[in-house]
Amino acid sequence: MTTHMKRLKRAGVPGLALAFLILFAVPGLHAQVPAAPQSGPIALVGGTLHTVTDGVIENGTLVFEDGRITAMGTDVSIPSGAEQIDIAGLHVYPGLINGNSHVGLFEIGGWDVTIDTNEYGDINPNMRAQVAVHPESRHIGTTRNSGALVTLATPSGGRISGLAAALNLDGWTFEQMTLRGEVALMVNWPGGGGNQYRNGVQEIREAFARARAYKTAADAADAGQGPALNFDARWEAMRPVFDGEIPVIVSESQPERIRDAVEWAEEEGVRMILMGGGDADLIADFLVENDIPVLLTSVQTSPNRDWAPYDDRYNLPARLADAGVRFGIVGGTSAAYSNRLPWEAGVTMAFGLSPDQALRSVTIDVAEILGIADRVGSLAEGKDATLLITTGHPLEYTSAIERAFIEGRDIDLVDAHREFYDRYSEKLRQLEGGN
Amino acid sequence: MKLRLPLLLALLTLLPAEVFSQTEPVQGLRDSTPGIHALTGATVVVAPGNVINNATLVIRNGVIEAVGANVTPPADAVVRDMAGRTIYAGFIDAYSHIGQREEPVDEDERGPVNWNPQVRSFVDAAAEYAPDGGLAGEMRSQGFTTALSMPELGMFRGSGALVSLGGESARQQVVRAGVAQGLGLTRDTSVGATYPTSAMGGMVFVRQTLSDAEWYRDAQSRYASNPQGLMRPETNLALAALEEVVEGRQPLLIEARDEEEFLRAASFAGEFPVNLWIRGSGAEYRLLDQVAATGLPVILPLNFPEAPDVGDDEESALNVSVGQLLHWRHAPENPARLAGAGVQFALTTAGLDDVDDFLPNLRAAVEHGLDRDTALGALTTTPASFLGVESTHGTLEVGKAANLVVTDGDLFGDDTEVLETWVDGARFLVDGTNVLDGGSQIRAAADLPEPRRGPPSIQALPVLLEHGHDAVGGDTHDHGHDHENGDQDRAGGAELVTSDQLEAVGTLPILPRPSAQLDDLIYPLMDFGRPGIPDQPEHVLVRGATLWTQGPQGIIENGDLLVSNGQVAEVGQNLEAPAGATIIEAEGRHVTPGLIDAHLHSGLSGGVNEGGNAIVPEVQIGDVISANNIWMYRQMAGGLTTAHVMHGSANPIGGQNQVVKMRWGASPEELKMDGAPSTVKFALGENVTRNPNRYPNTRQGVEQIILDHFQQAMDYQRGWDAWEATGEGLPPRRDYRMEALLGIKNGEISIQSHSYRQDEILMLMRLAEELDMQVKAFHHGVEAYRVAPELAAHGAGAVVWSDWSGFKAEAYNASLYNVRGLLDAGVVTSLHSDNSQIAARMNWEAAKMLRTGVSEEEAMSLITNATAQLLGIDDWVGSLEVGKDADFVIWRDHPFSAVTTPEQTWIDGRKYFDLEEDREHRSEVQRLRDELIQQVRDGR
Repeated sequence: MTTHMKRLKRAGVPGLALAFLILFAVPGLHAQVPAAPQSGPIALVGGTLHTVTDGVIENGTLVFEDGRITAMGTDVSIPSGAEQIDIAGLHVYPGLINGNSHVGLFEIGGWDVTIDTNEYGDINPNMRAQVAVHPESRHIGTTRNSGALVTLATPSGGRISGLAAALNLDGWTFEQMTLRGEVALMVNWPGGGGNQYRNGVQEIREAFARARAYKTAADAADAGQGPALNFDARWEAMRPVFDGEIPVIVSESQPERIRDAVEWAEEEGVRMILMGGGDADLIADFLVENDIPVLLTSVQTSPNRDWAPYDDRYNLPARLADAGVRFGIVGGTSAAYSNRLPWEAGVTMAFGLSPDQALRSVTIDVAEILGIADRVGSLAEGKDATLLITTGHPLEYTSAIERAFIEGRDIDLVDAHREFYDRYSEKLRQLEGGN
Repeated sequence: MKLRLPLLLALLTLLPAEVFSQTEPVQGLRDSTPGIHALTGATVVVAPGNVINNATLVIRNGVIEAVGANVTPPADAVVRDMAGRTIYAGFIDAYSHIGQREEPVDEDERGPVNWNPQVRSFVDAAAEYAPDGGLAGEMRSQGFTTALSMPELGMFRGSGALVSLGGESARQQVVRAGVAQGLGLTRDTSVGATYPTSAMGGMVFVRQTLSDAEWYRDAQSRYASNPQGLMRPETNLALAALEEVVEGRQPLLIEARDEEEFLRAASFAGEFPVNLWIRGSGAEYRLLDQVAATGLPVILPLNFPEAPDVGDDEESALNVSVGQLLHWRHAPENPARLAGAGVQFALTTAGLDDVDDFLPNLRAAVEHGLDRDTALGALTTTPASFLGVESTHGTLEVGKAANLVVTDGDLFGDDTEVLETWVDGARFLVDGTNVLDGGSQIRAAADLPEPRRGPPSIQALPVLLEHGHDAVGGDTHDHGHDHENGDQDRAGGAELVTSDQLEAVGTLPILPRPSAQLDDLIYPLMDFGRPGIPDQPEHVLVRGATLWTQGPQGIIENGDLLVSNGQVAEVGQNLEAPAGATIIEAEGRHVTPGLIDAHLHSGLSGGVNEGGNAIVPEVQIGDVISANNIWMYRQMAGGLTTAHVMHGSANPIGGQNQVVKMRWGASPEELKMDGAPSTVKFALGENVTRNPNRYPNTRQGVEQIILDHFQQAMDYQRGWDAWEATGEGLPPRRDYRMEALLGIKNGEISIQSHSYRQDEILMLMRLAEELDMQVKAFHHGVEAYRVAPELAAHGAGAVVWSDWSGFKAEAYNASLYNVRGLLDAGVVTSLHSDNSQIAARMNWEAAKMLRTGVSEEEAMSLITNATAQLLGIDDWVGSLEVGKDADFVIWRDHPFSAVTTPEQTWIDGRKYFDLEEDREHRSEVQRLRDELIQQVRDGR
């Protein structure tokens, strides 16, 4: 809220009033009331459990308690007092993960007072995405209705954009919503040609060199081997990157520049994840050799070049899979389109990926790449009860999502879109003579 | 250049006054050096195909007096041995800007000119002409002695002048003024003006201006015959200057920057009694048949593209397309292909980065199959004929101007050099063949380079003055226009060769050339182009499919579809196959009508918006449809068979749209769907109000400007009605904008309005009702669900996105349930893409509606039959019903499953896409690309 307030003040009073009207005062909307914490054990009984990591359990039962999965199988003892939900004929899948999303940080495109993604300046490693997440964003409801229950909120812009946060798409506050903060450091590999590109790379190198100097001195001070040093917010935020605790997500698509980035990451000794990756197949072997995972930002898109066949991007995931590249399929930058994730990943099933591979690309594979697989990404005992009950494969247009749970909380699937529909159905009913 | 003035001053003291002017009084002593020359021993190419070996050519006072093998040099001539030389008629550059000023002047200070500064038709190239010795020298070095000099600013650029590329003053150089009116089809930003901003706006602006010129003529003439009681029509020099053009007396010379613009330019011939010439682009071969069919004279550049940069590995060639490579490979064949198709063309140096590239490129054109005589003709006789100077220019016949090119061999030989040119009897040595350092020097002809064949036999040692770019022979200024000595001065023994005697004289020895084999080309000439559109089998029977008819027959399981001669012949089960039918076993497959996109912006040239005015219904997307559009291949591969290509959303009343079929491989004109009714784009809300410098700035203003223009149109109609009833007063001026508005008002052009918010949707419906009109469909309609009952009552449809939202304020209240809400209220509803990629998979869009509770058949209707209905094309497309076009898609799986993809796409009963054939096609594209890249690397 505070970040919003600051920006709104800058926009002047009319902008402030209008933004409030739209963001906070949409009248009559009941949707998206955050769910109460799980109060007792819940058992999903008699459905097909798609664990993702451990096969499919037909006619299975899944039990979760205190937000965690406690038991799974065909022969599970249901705790006494558990709420039993009959899911015969239905399927259980882990909640999908959108590994690149501005949900919570972005409300309306082209209207900067509603967008909190890009901080001033080029070097902002100390940005923490979760602190600007707006829990009442309309896009939260529409995104989780698509099956994506977890998103990675990614700061963007500049050269070093900030620290991404994994969010559960339910909660009264950003604290409740934050599954894990500081998941990865976002680096925007420079564009442009010639000197512009070289200068951009140099800017990144320079920032890392300074951060490393700071870390060296800070580590020494911590160990009592050096004097106390003055605090630098930017370099302090980068210390875990050098320890390998936090990976660096580098956005780039051109083969030659991907190579530059990988070489840079190796020199810096940081763990790199490639994001974008439109031409990743062209250097697939290189990515495998260097164990660079890829977050593909779009599948339902067009070939980069006229000479490439029409399905060149649709089957890019299959080509990466064949080459042995680790990848996840993630969203683009508009929060309003975070709900397209299942379709982006789903159509790979028409273009060479198996239904299981497609599912992994938005669950366990992306969770592992982002280092949140201990919590989400598959159905397993001990993991969060963040899951979907569906009529079929969650990436199929023809399946429907019946219910969703986030950390065991029963999620309201009425979002703003549905609310509008209900509201104007009432208008139609009145005009048609109802009362 | 800086040395030129002192040199001219030096020459002034040496040369006779009449060199500079026939009208200027003599200052000091008269110089009366004679201008009589006999060039002997040369191979003289009198005209293409007519060659005299060992000939003598006599020049007297700038005119050819005699030419022939047995001509004896007259006793009064300076004899110059030209053994080993070949002499051609001086070349004529049929399109240049030589001597034209490059800076625009402030049109406000010009007097009564046009309201739009793009119309500079009053500019007279002769009046603006300033001799440019530097460029003239460069052009002479390529053999040119005459050029058409065209003004270059604006759209209507003014009339061109034919000039000689030698002579000291403009008075001497200008041969003829008013040769042709220049026209470019898009705005020249250097002279300002806000309209037209787009290529389609350019087209209608040309129409309006030509029409205005006709009106101006008629109004002025009526006023002149009896001004009593008439309001004086405005004086407009620009329109007055176009009278010759709209009478067909002065050619309209249109610069067409690609082959599609060529056809657009040619289209004016059918609308106005104009005499068109086209200055081509060099890409005409890509639409050869259509270009040839226009029958128009063409002025061709030889601007062959540089080889694309392909580096030396795969990665550096990544961004080079097959289209680029193919143009590089085939552009040099353009002249040969045009000649083969019977196109009459002249050549020009225009479009070359460097004039010196002309002869090498000419030779490349010959290497690529252009016949030498045609090539020579295109430099001499053809332009002379175009320009109406065939009696004085273009050949070396007796009586013609002494414009010559002297070479040391066959013009088309790679090493042949132009040694000198003669312009109106004045001799110019070519810069570079015997370069001297700057100032004037005395030289002997013996210092000329050796001729290639046979030793020079020097009979005379003429004194030469050479300087910089201006190679001025000391004996070259003695030509004149004095014909008083006339015929009796000719040497008695000279053999006078006239054109009808030339045929049998001889032929030029020709160097051997590889005979160029011109390949059949794909179309469009780009990646995934094809040899032609697919065949249409007489009968096609698709058997055993799940058939989504989208008509009264609903979905037929195990259904058969019979197609005959491009139309649906029968739909049902267990249909009989006619003899010879192509049978497709489609068990397990789904067959749907071809998909239709109601709102697309790909496949057009030169801008989606005409932004030059808020109200532009006169512009037409149909004028600028492009077939060079890779999206069409991608969209067609995704099952799209028809699209409504729309004007953009910058205007409350935008331009007219065009329905196309995705006939990948057909020409722009053939892409248009026959019979599709006219539609016009309206736009409301943010897009039309965000320009702070233009009315409107509010949604209130949008209502008023639309209302105001329909009122104007009705007043316009009244003006015409009165004129037609009484014939009194001045004739009304035809106004394309008002006529388009009347077409909308009368319901001949349906309104397809961009919209977001419910208030603006309601406003337009109410405004339309007030004017007794109907809105056919609201596009985007992000809040359409909020006024769904009102839409249904008005009879308007909705054409919406599946899930676009949140990209601007007015898009914030989007709902995935928009379609469902509209269907609930009985609104005819369609989806659209508004995006080239999304159009390639419209089934994905419709599939997204399933989770909102829309049924499968309803979802399919959003991209087939309902779409057709809202575009008014449902008599032909949108469902599989007998008599409709055989446009259908065979899907591998359920069309709304994520796992599906089209296996075949049929349009007009022709199979445009086939999954298996596409596999071969893509490897063929890869092979072709590799081959062309290798050719670039090999330097071929």
